[in-house]
Amino acid sequence: MAKPLWTGSLSFGLVNVPVALFSATRDRDIHFQLLHAPDCSPIETRRVCAAEEQPVPWPEIARGYELENGEWVLLSDEDLRAAAPRQSRTIDIERFVEVGEIDPVYFDHSYLLVPPDEGAARAYALLSETMGDSGKVALGRFVLRTKERLVCIRVRDSALTLTTMLFGDEVRSSEEIAEGIEGAAPTGEQIESAVAVIEELSVEFDPTLYRDEHRAHLKRIIKRKQQGKKIAAPAPAKEPVTTTAPDLMGALEESLAQIRAQGKAKKPRARARSASKKTPARQA
Amino acid sequence: MPRSLWNGTIAFGMVRVPVKLYSATESKAVRFRERHCSDGAAIEHRRVCVQEGREIPYGETVKGFEVSSGSYVTLSKEEIATADGPGAHMIEIEHFAHRAEIDPVFYERAYRLGPGKLGDDAYLLLHAALTRSDRVGIGRFVFHNKAHLVALRALEDVIALHTMRFADELIPVDDLEIPAPQRKPSKLEVAAAGTLVEQLSSSFQPDDYEDTYRAALLELIERKARGETIDAPEAEEIAPEDDLLVALQASLERQGGGRSARAKAKTKAKKPPRSRAGKSVGSAR
Repeated sequence: MAKPLWTGSLSFGLVNVPVALFSATRDRDIHFQLLHAPDCSPIETRRVCAAEEQPVPWPEIARGYELENGEWVLLSDEDLRAAAPRQSRTIDIERFVEVGEIDPVYFDHSYLLVPPDEGAARAYALLSETMGDSGKVALGRFVLRTKERLVCIRVRDSALTLTTMLFGDEVRSSEEIAEGIEGAAPTGEQIESAVAVIEELSVEFDPTLYRDEHRAHLKRIIKRKQQGKKIAAPAPAKEPVTTTAPDLMGALEESLAQIRAQGKAKKPRARARSASKKTPARQA
Repeated sequence: MPRSLWNGTIAFGMVRVPVKLYSATESKAVRFRERHCSDGAAIEHRRVCVQEGREIPYGETVKGFEVSSGSYVTLSKEEIATADGPGAHMIEIEHFAHRAEIDPVFYERAYRLGPGKLGDDAYLLLHAALTRSDRVGIGRFVFHNKAHLVALRALEDVIALHTMRFADELIPVDDLEIPAPQRKPSKLEVAAAGTLVEQLSSSFQPDDYEDTYRAALLELIERKARGETIDAPEAEEIAPEDDLLVALQASLERQGGGRSARAKAKTKAKKPPRSRAGKSVGSAR
């Protein structure tokens, strides 16, 4: 198994559960290497000391913080831990809440917590069983790298899953955007029709319905290019991208008529593969 | 008004909603720069051709995909852009779902949308319909040469956009080797732990939490700037609990002041129904 990103313990009351932290997600992106155009030889990013003009190996790089007087203070990993020793190795569970109370705007990155050895398995099992029963999520915090993280922990497929969260002051206010909106409030009739369209398109959330077409397309063009084929320029957009709808009611009614006529298209299995196909770009 | 990061259109049925994308979050973490530890000098990142050993200006570079060791297929910017498709300008709402059905593990980053040119009426309509129906729209969009699954929802008086991970970007929990305990937790232990969860239960108030580490770190930086030496924290062995029940009972006692005797007698903790979370999609106001 991969190396954990962090090891420490979960503190629940006076019970300590040793845990190792792994990312819950993996990078599936197509990554490109930067090449030197004439001979296609790889380009490396090198870290160079500006004073000595010498490449610097990674272990010799420190975190620097610039003071107001322009001087720099360098910090080591030990310094970072020394600022909050306990928080750097313990996730303190402070309380339990309903997951629905946490607005998704706070969610950041998710990780999986795993007991590092058999000795920790019992306390881990106790916590996951208890949390599974309660249906609640634990709120706690700890320090990961250079930042304190507010976290929520819950059971997902029998594994404790930790999601880091933003602090309240890291979420921007909506006010400025809301104040700039000048349109007319929708009529009751418009809202009803819009809700009817939403009802027609409603499904139970199933993440497997959505494929990353962008990634798939990149793979295809890499293959074509490898075979020496040309890559065609993208077809111009079928419809102007900034049309406004002067007649919202008309557009809603047409939407409803079209969705209902398609009927089956509403069902998950029919769609999702190719999003463009079912775009109601033209009259059926 | 903040600067918008992206301009495009939401397709909601036949209704087109021109929108602008704004960031909804900002990190307040203490920021560091890379410095050379021996002389404190700045570290520069330089693009160097491995073959020639010299620095290469960005204009002389191309992007390549390594198809086999050392062999690259190069793609121009225009060729890479062909993958963007309609998602580069348009977010088509493919479905609507209840927010509670989306596990937090999917969420990536939060943004806010404002109406684009002449889009105010349609924007207000979509906002009202999302609020009334208590649902979130699911679609896909391309941002910075990458496609994202997105959730669109009413948040306060605006529409929020959450980028989400595709299902295959999640690590299957089965991939982890979670060791099974030799002895399962006893009923008594689970009951005591359940009581502790009940005692610690409350509601979520984001403003209750403040980043205390930020201040501690800045204080430490100040001490270091004055020339103080910082002692490394002692490494502390974390031993797994031998007796979970004793630890739980002590926790209950500390928490509820001697209520643990009753708690112990209590049978298994009640099972509240799984929360129909996010029932109130737009209720963050």
